[in-house]
Amino acid sequence: MKELSEVNLPEDVRYTKDHEWARPKGETFQIGITDFAQDQLGDIVFVELPEIGDRFESGDEFGTVESVKAVSELFMPMGGEVVAINEALEDSPELVNTAPYTDGWMLEIKTGDSAAYDQLMDRAAYLDMLKGLEE
Amino acid sequence: MTSLKTPLHAWHTGHGARMGLFGGYDMPLWYASAKDEHLAVLNHAGIFDTSHMAVVLVDGPGAVDLLQFCFTNDLTACLGPRKAPLKPGRAVYGAFLDAQGHVIDDAIVFMLTTEAFMVVVNAGMGPAVAGHLVQHGGAYAARVTDLSGQVGKMDVQGPMAARILYDVLAEPETVFDAMPYFSFKGGFTDAMPSWGAVVTRQGVPLLLSRTGYTGEFGFELFSDSEQIVVLWEAILAAGAPHGAVPCGLAARDSLRAGAGLPLSHQDIGAWPFCRHPWPFALPYRPGTQDFSKPFLGDTALQGCQGPYTYPFIGRDLRKVTLPAEVLDVNGRSIGDVLTCVTDMAIGWHEGRVFSIRSPDRPKDFRGGGLCCGFVRVADPLPLDSPLVLKDKRRRIDVRIVKDIRPDRTARQPMHTLLQPKEE
Repeated sequence: MKELSEVNLPEDVRYTKDHEWARPKGETFQIGITDFAQDQLGDIVFVELPEIGDRFESGDEFGTVESVKAVSELFMPMGGEVVAINEALEDSPELVNTAPYTDGWMLEIKTGDSAAYDQLMDRAAYLDMLKGLEE
Repeated sequence: MTSLKTPLHAWHTGHGARMGLFGGYDMPLWYASAKDEHLAVLNHAGIFDTSHMAVVLVDGPGAVDLLQFCFTNDLTACLGPRKAPLKPGRAVYGAFLDAQGHVIDDAIVFMLTTEAFMVVVNAGMGPAVAGHLVQHGGAYAARVTDLSGQVGKMDVQGPMAARILYDVLAEPETVFDAMPYFSFKGGFTDAMPSWGAVVTRQGVPLLLSRTGYTGEFGFELFSDSEQIVVLWEAILAAGAPHGAVPCGLAARDSLRAGAGLPLSHQDIGAWPFCRHPWPFALPYRPGTQDFSKPFLGDTALQGCQGPYTYPFIGRDLRKVTLPAEVLDVNGRSIGDVLTCVTDMAIGWHEGRVFSIRSPDRPKDFRGGGLCCGFVRVADPLPLDSPLVLKDKRRRIDVRIVKDIRPDRTARQPMHTLLQPKEE
């Protein structure tokens, strides 16, 4: 298990209390789970994602990640329509473990509410929350 | 309540293990990867800290009779297909039941002498099982001693297990000679009759048993709890060149489920111990439904109407999360799911389940993993029955099976696994 000091928390994404991240990418936002989340879950052996065109509100469950032992829900950091899913995860779900912010991305969404992104936690706020979880 | 720790606790946390509570103990769930640990036991070997398990000694002239009354298996008729009596150096699986036939715990009983038995039960269960034996022991000249917390235990499981121990033991040829499945040698206190028969090169006396909880070839090692760290490190060092890795409870759980073995208090528990896939734990006379001896709980089991417990396999590796319901094909709720995990070493190929170690597996077979476990249903079901498992999120299709992970190595003859690795 990683110490908090070892958890990778990039500056170019924003975070949720459920350990998802969102990153602006042109007109859309990319979404995935944090390094802290993948470390807690352990080996990810299956990722269940929605279909392109599905619409979600902020906080909706959009899929699951499955480890050898457990199944965990994934929640939308912001509302929007799915415009792309990471198809590489079908054959290589372990990308979520090895590269949670890059090759292990999950969804790309188009949102009508870009302001929702600004309300997510920045690195410092998320790190403070993780420190709180450790106590 | 603070959690209990095994003597290896500091080793686990110092080596990055993800820890979790099990049976009151803070135990490693996995180190780097539960999946790799599961696969290592199939391909090479895995090394497990099992010092959380409890040991109860039962001795005295009435020890056999006390166990005959309290333990489900018949110690006078349990060895091999001919049901020979248990003898010193051999062990047998069974359970302790209450008068309702419900499970208090399951156990392996090791016969040390004709008047002394070592009873190995689950984590935290030493006081309960010892108390149960004392409660029913009034009429028997037997002494019950709970050794919980005083015994160090680790399991070395996988096809390389014997070769690893060969490098660790002082006289491996002698130890491994005539050591079939469910036999043991040595001892971990000088009060044990075979103490000194198994000693490591570093001088640690062991009780070495050809048993385990993975379905794969291997051993359980019992030592004085103060010597378990030295033993652990010696075995890891000897195991590394053979591909052995330390394994946590996640891999232990997925391996045992794939091997069709129950987890006490989950797959067996406070319901009648009958109509399950472990009839070998009950004293049936061969070919009959009659018991070969009277025992506590037997009347409740006679004419047992269920519930019925069956192993299942899913279509892919997707699981349900407990609590989960069992539905028949018409969507009617017929029971509940006891265990649901992924065995990462198996997969379907043309209507048949193979393991990554199946000798006749298809070329390039990679397993991929299948969901598996046990369901408990009200009425009997035929083999291959299709069922749906339903949790709050999803429904998955599964099938009742006779067995889960094929081609397991637990019973493979020792000599075949002491040779240099083929392939």
